[in-house]
Amino acid sequence: MKIAFERSGGFAGLRLTATIETDDLPPDEAAELVQMVEDARFFDLPGKLRARPGAADEYQYLVTIATDDQRHTVETTDTAAPETLRTLLNRLNALARRRR
Amino acid sequence: MFHRHPIHCIIPPHMLREIAERGSVVQQAQALQSYAASSQLRGQRTELTGMPSVAQTQAAAGKERIIYDAKETTTLPGVKVRSEGDPPVDDIAVNEAYDGSGATYDLYHEVFGRNSIDNQGMRLDSTVHYGESFDNAFWDGQQMVYGDGDADVPEEERIFNRFTAAIDVIGHELTHGVTQHEARLLYYTQPGALNESMSDVFGSLVKQRTLNQTSAEADWIIGAGLFTANVNAQGIRSMKAPGTAYDDPVLGKDPQPGHMRDYMNVSYDNGGVHINSGIPNHAFYVVAREIGGYAWEKPGQIWYRALKDELQFWSDFQHAANVTYQLAGSLYGKGSLEQQAVVTGWKEVGITVETGFGWRQLISIIIALLNQLGGGNVIPAAPQTAREER
Ligand SMILES: [Zn+2]
Ligand SMILES: [Zn+2]
Repeated sequence: MKIAFERSGGFAGLRLTATIETDDLPPDEAAELVQMVEDARFFDLPGKLRARPGAADEYQYLVTIATDDQRHTVETTDTAAPETLRTLLNRLNALARRRR
Repeated sequence: MFHRHPIHCIIPPHMLREIAERGSVVQQAQALQSYAASSQLRGQRTELTGMPSVAQTQAAAGKERIIYDAKETTTLPGVKVRSEGDPPVDDIAVNEAYDGSGATYDLYHEVFGRNSIDNQGMRLDSTVHYGESFDNAFWDGQQMVYGDGDADVPEEERIFNRFTAAIDVIGHELTHGVTQHEARLLYYTQPGALNESMSDVFGSLVKQRTLNQTSAEADWIIGAGLFTANVNAQGIRSMKAPGTAYDDPVLGKDPQPGHMRDYMNVSYDNGGVHINSGIPNHAFYVVAREIGGYAWEKPGQIWYRALKDELQFWSDFQHAANVTYQLAGSLYGKGSLEQQAVVTGWKEVGITVETGFGWRQLISIIIALLNQLGGGNVIPAAPQTAREER
């Protein structure tokens, strides 16, 4: 599974990007990540999840996940993301940050 | 509490939704232009809003703050921990949110005669301790939200402190609420960067007024103290010298331009709204520098009137330049020092004020006419109550 992660915006406007290949992660970490993708039902999510009108300074997330047989991109913010997706975003963010 | 907006109406909600939801940033920008061309735009608010006078609104309700604690969850608003008039509590973030939103209310009320976010005494809700080690602050469309910064990593790796630590951040977030009720600047590309800039301008004015600083004394840094000592930074943004707020081996360099030639066309951050805001930010700084004295007085008045009465959801930097020039003329006299300062401010960022009749004015007039013909309701505002029942 290959994941392209981008977080931009926020009050400070700092951009954080990472490409994560689960094959490159330790097996238990990879398995955990795949489970999170599954729990978030990532491939069933709409392509755009919007914050409330008037909202500002939220982080903007752009995540593309590709497996052997599917590929999907989701754009969201913290408040627009369902709880399970947010768990995944937090993990991806931590992984991206580790590589900064 | 359920309150209605004054009739500051804009385009049909479905259109807004279309552009906002479906398009890429580029498509959104194109949609914006075609709307501009087809004149489906909003009219002058001033003549149409039927807004109650300051005196009337002051009688309605005054400063009312509530601070909530999300207790490191992402559930909003969280548990109520301090209400208006309550003494300080044993939690610095709570007290900072309380004092900061109070100072912001006071700036708007005492200097600009505005009663809260909606000018009708709307309650100011803030939530602190949002999320686990959440390194951000935002306006969610109804309230202010603050994270604790990087509490989860070892101290020597932390980048962010708690977000209530800088009073201009609080003024910034609350101003997003004001913008939502007034100009309704779309949150992408130039209107979005202008939206961001308005928040920085009034956030900075809250700080300057709290410290009783003249424009010459102020540091014009946004978010000083938000970065930890681990980061080589003065703050998050610099209005005085955009692009110089930080330069750090881990975070990189502050990307803000301070001139149109360096405008960044990017896909991320809603088209770089937190980046290109450096341009109008710097214009305001120069205007304040040229006029001198307290920036919340004449410069603040010009910008506030622009936000309240002139800027519209589609406004770009050029439109902001034109209307602030007009306002400076009507407030302080044609050819006055203040009006000259506005010309200089925009010129320094590469924008020449247009004094003739242009398409931007034409659009404003057409919308005003459309609204007048339709009793102010031809082009309805996006449906929105300022607050859901809690
Ligand atoms: Zn903002
Ligand atoms: Zn309103």
